[in-house]
Amino acid sequence: MKGNDRRPDPAGPSDSAVLADAEADMGDGEARLALDQAFDSGTLYALRAAVQAHASQAGLPESRTDDLVIAVHELAANAVRHGAGAGRLRMWERDGAVHCQVDDSGSPASGEDAGSGGNVADRWPFLPGHGLWLVRLVADQISVFSGPGGTRAAIVFFPAGQDPSVSSPD
Amino acid sequence: MPVSALTQVTELSEDAHACLTFGEADDLLDLTAAFVRDGLASGFRVVVLSDSPQLAAAKLSWREIAAEAAVATGQMVMVASADGLVGPQGFSAGQAMGWLRDQLADSRREGYAGIRVALDMSWALRPMTGIEELPVLEEEIAAAVGGAGMSVLCGYDRERFDPVTLALIAPLHSHAVAAATYYDDPVLRICRQYVPPGIRLAGEMDFLAAEALALALGEAIRIDGDITINMANLSFIDASSIRMVTDAAASLDLSRTMVLRCRPAIETRFAQLGADRLPQVSLVGVDEG
Repeated sequence: MKGNDRRPDPAGPSDSAVLADAEADMGDGEARLALDQAFDSGTLYALRAAVQAHASQAGLPESRTDDLVIAVHELAANAVRHGAGAGRLRMWERDGAVHCQVDDSGSPASGEDAGSGGNVADRWPFLPGHGLWLVRLVADQISVFSGPGGTRAAIVFFPAGQDPSVSSPD
Repeated sequence: MPVSALTQVTELSEDAHACLTFGEADDLLDLTAAFVRDGLASGFRVVVLSDSPQLAAAKLSWREIAAEAAVATGQMVMVASADGLVGPQGFSAGQAMGWLRDQLADSRREGYAGIRVALDMSWALRPMTGIEELPVLEEEIAAAVGGAGMSVLCGYDRERFDPVTLALIAPLHSHAVAAATYYDDPVLRICRQYVPPGIRLAGEMDFLAAEALALALGEAIRIDGDITINMANLSFIDASSIRMVTDAAASLDLSRTMVLRCRPAIETRFAQLGADRLPQVSLVGVDEG
């Protein structure tokens, strides 16, 4: 399948800074990596199935599981359609919250915008009716950044009823 | 263009002997409904044979066919397989043909200009004596429809009948009918829905099948009147596909309605993306299929 060779390389020099960030984030507290899965346009269906299974297992109620599945799908779809054409999802659980991080493999497949850093709002617009707008609606937290090594989108789903701003264990 | 539709069920002649091989129960129901609707509209007698006439009537009623009223006037007859094609001693082609000829004679005597007979053939899956005569029945039906003002639609489940039987039976028909299908893979199916008119999505819909969805919607909105997007068997739809559906709805004249039949989770998604604020949209929640 085309695109599998674009799997992100954790050892890639341009990714190392962002990745270090993620490991630090995960290494804190009781984090447990539940899923680490590469995807491209041919495996989005499998990605959704894996997220659904893990979210149910993590104890998210059904409607929140549906929300998580669509949120991850939309982030992955952005990586496939507007980013590198492939990417990687990591999903973990900490203090009852489900964290997902979607990385695309680097510069856009088309070559446009390559190397432009900073916020990616220009490339991934948060417009009403668009995928990212929906992600922002259903996720408790969302952040999207791009660097020379690619784009990273992270979302957090807190256990029902918890206010994310006051529930930090720190 | 839609693929795999050899003849559209809506274009069958009045002496057709049509074979409907279906993969999903919805297909049998939908194409039978179209066959029945058009027969009733033409003033013909319509006979529907199935294992459960009551269930069949209820399902036709959901599809906007006034089955009860038509049965009350005698224009429509709902028959159980056991009271029609299958006799008390099992199956014989002669006995089954005798029943069919009686139906034709009755309809003529009562003044109907023609008769349409829809046969759900799933009775033939049960072990019974004489079932080896099934091809003889199909041959005799083929010979009987010519010039008789009778058309017959035989529904065969392609997942349950063995391929050898289907290969033997199908060529004995004058037409093969199937739902016009825009997309079909193990994850998603997009096909035309005949009654009520529109399209049917089953499985999981995302942007990868956008082209097929655009084609299906484009054809659907060209029909007159209201259209239904039946998503009762759809378990996932992404934002770009929702947008495509709502854009199509927004393009409709305000006198027309796009009915979105979907499960509660999908209904929520459409509402989140603003579909419920469009005057042309009617969101209808269903539990399933």
